[in-house]
Amino acid sequence: MRWRSPRRCPRTGTGSGPCRRSMASATDSRYGQKESSDQNFDYMFKILIIGNSSVGKTSFLFRYADDSFTPAFVSTVGIDFKVKTIYRNDKRIKLQIWDTAGQERYRTITTAYYRGAMGFILMYDITNEESFNAVQDWSTQIKTYSWDNAQVLLVGNKCDMEDERVVSSEKGRQLAEHLGFEFFEASAKDNINVKQTFERLVDIICEKMSESLDAADPAVTGAKQGPQLTDQQAPPHQDCAC
Amino acid sequence: MTSDLNLNFLKELEREAVLEVLYRDQAMRKIEEERVRKLKMQLQQLRWKGTRSVSHEYQERSCARCHRPLGLLLNRGAVCNGCSHRVCSECRVCLNPCLWKCTACYAHGDVKIKAGEWFFEERAKKYPNEGRHETVGAKLLKSYQKLSEYSMCSYFWTLHLQELCQTKSFNKSVENLFLSLTTHMKKISKSQNDMADRSHLTTDYGQHVEKRKERRSQSDTAINITSRVSKSLYSVSGTVRSVWGMQSLSSSHFLCSLNSTCTEYGNFGKANVTGEIEFAIRYIFKACVLEISIRGCKNLAYGEEKKKKCNPYVKVYLLPDKSPRSKRKTAVKKSTVDPEFHETLKYKVEYPQLGSRQLQVSVWHAGALKTRVFLGEVVVPLAAWNFEDRSAESFSWYPLKAKVTLGFCHSSKLLVSARLSVPAQDKNFQLEKQMREGPSLQIDDLAVLYLFWGSCLILPDQTEMKQRSPVLKKEVCPRWKHLFVFGDVSPARLQQSCLHLTVWDQASLGASDRFLGGAALGAKESFGLRDPGSEALLQWQKVLSSPNTWTDLSLVLHPNKERFKS
Repeated sequence: MRWRSPRRCPRTGTGSGPCRRSMASATDSRYGQKESSDQNFDYMFKILIIGNSSVGKTSFLFRYADDSFTPAFVSTVGIDFKVKTIYRNDKRIKLQIWDTAGQERYRTITTAYYRGAMGFILMYDITNEESFNAVQDWSTQIKTYSWDNAQVLLVGNKCDMEDERVVSSEKGRQLAEHLGFEFFEASAKDNINVKQTFERLVDIICEKMSESLDAADPAVTGAKQGPQLTDQQAPPHQDCAC
Repeated sequence: MTSDLNLNFLKELEREAVLEVLYRDQAMRKIEEERVRKLKMQLQQLRWKGTRSVSHEYQERSCARCHRPLGLLLNRGAVCNGCSHRVCSECRVCLNPCLWKCTACYAHGDVKIKAGEWFFEERAKKYPNEGRHETVGAKLLKSYQKLSEYSMCSYFWTLHLQELCQTKSFNKSVENLFLSLTTHMKKISKSQNDMADRSHLTTDYGQHVEKRKERRSQSDTAINITSRVSKSLYSVSGTVRSVWGMQSLSSSHFLCSLNSTCTEYGNFGKANVTGEIEFAIRYIFKACVLEISIRGCKNLAYGEEKKKKCNPYVKVYLLPDKSPRSKRKTAVKKSTVDPEFHETLKYKVEYPQLGSRQLQVSVWHAGALKTRVFLGEVVVPLAAWNFEDRSAESFSWYPLKAKVTLGFCHSSKLLVSARLSVPAQDKNFQLEKQMREGPSLQIDDLAVLYLFWGSCLILPDQTEMKQRSPVLKKEVCPRWKHLFVFGDVSPARLQQSCLHLTVWDQASLGASDRFLGGAALGAKESFGLRDPGSEALLQWQKVLSSPNTWTDLSLVLHPNKERFKS
């Protein structure tokens, strides 16, 4: 059974529940502590969160890694990271998630980190037009500084603030399609689609990983079915529930 | 772009925040390296199990993995697609009904994804020159370490003196003192980019002084030792930071002494470098041993050209460690320019460490009366070496090269934070110095030393109070969190005292410790201290006149051992 091709799980409004994939995605919270020194995992992925200043990158990460949220805005200095180990597709995957400063003055540092990242979360604020308009530039930055197969998820954050919305989700989706990214609307405050975003990104990176292994291994290239990774994940994907 | 990547543009507080992240990342990277190393070692062992049969009794009809004999009709085995070895049915991993691999090939692929190699390979398509495992964090740290060479090992020490306020031995206002501190700071920050940011740290306090500066004359360049500690001292909270004479002393002195103590730099003869050397390098993963097999040299230059004499031997260092611990030598061969050594030199070293090491193989002539003549050297960076590739283990000839003047420039600064403290109740004076976490305690080149520092308080009557810190082993960023307390010292005597701080590399049993550098603080110009005594004096006074305040000092390390009591 091969990995399915990316399936869009679009969310139309903020009220409806997050899109669910049938495959069990048990994030094991028991491993939340002392993760950085833990050696017991199968893969390590590096993920970078980028986007304009104050779109909620740090909040998004804190919600995912610590399940916490503070409304106060504290600008990130340069870079920071958090570690989270998740259990996905029968593998324990350690994520080193880099949170970058959106401010222009740290750009030299943050762009330097693009090269080490396997996947990106490009974030804008649905209540901030400017942050949305900057998405194109951020995407160009990724193309410039990252590897060719960089996986990007476009995330419109703060979807709990429906009253102040200035970027429609349709616009977001169109842009994502245009750029070839997958798209989520999320809220770090109300914990909407946060986990889903990260898990989807992990899945896409896994796909790229098995693809690169297929291509590099002449013994496997001819075979119709994929190698190690694929045979392990028994339950077939079903269609998106939403 | 990444080549000039550094943290220069950050303010000090920002830089500290970023550095904290970088160090956290570095710690994680080490764990990850360890995990990858284990994975690779397991794979290597699996391979060895197979290859042993090749070298000994390789039979066509036996499994390449478990060596079980294969039958002609039953259990014939099959050829693995990956490695083309014939393996039995037990040693296969079925990936799907029509594809299998032998256990070793399977493990190879498995390691590749688990170690993240797939990503490096993919990335190499776009950035072929990118160092595989060197991350941005590592680069930033490295550039930062270069930057902070001016302020190398930072010791923070603190003097804390309450009682002094009541003794009225100071008669100049504290504002003066502060003013001169800031003028110093400003002077330095002009020339020292790195230090410019320090003033930002004490912003509120800085403004305070700024105002005064307008009113006051600039005449007081030095602080009067008897400046009276006024009440206003207590209104100033926080740490006073000052930076002293950063540019006045170059670090080259320290560099020289370092070199001359551990290698024969400086006092060796030079011959024209000719010829080649043949050696092989291999790493034994099981035992964590790096082996350098030295076979021989040819066409060496004569160590003593006139006499046509040459007694060559080979000396190896595992750079950056240039201490005797890292030195290995072969026997001396007499009267030959084509010596054959056939010696194997060994280092016990962890695999992840090798990436940052360079193997320096040099050839020397041993003349009469211990004169040494340099005949040439080869430096092999081990980062690029593929220790898992067996073909890389064979002997090769390397042309000898002349010694390059080493590009590293060692800083010889101590950044120290100090406090002088006296409990008001009892009249015992205590001089406390404490290690605080310094921003930059990098000792690049001394990474594998066993460092400790000693301190010696010399009282006016020449009595000495000696203490030493615990030893820090093989720390790349040594941070002593040791508190030195000198008790029972009266302030009057302190004024006349002198404090010597020395850094040492602890030697193994029997040998004497290696002196790395020292710094002096204090009123005395004795002991032949010719260095800008005023500087040591100023710092000392500043400490004494800032009771209840943490005072950060930056001290220049001097290479001259004789100057210091230890």
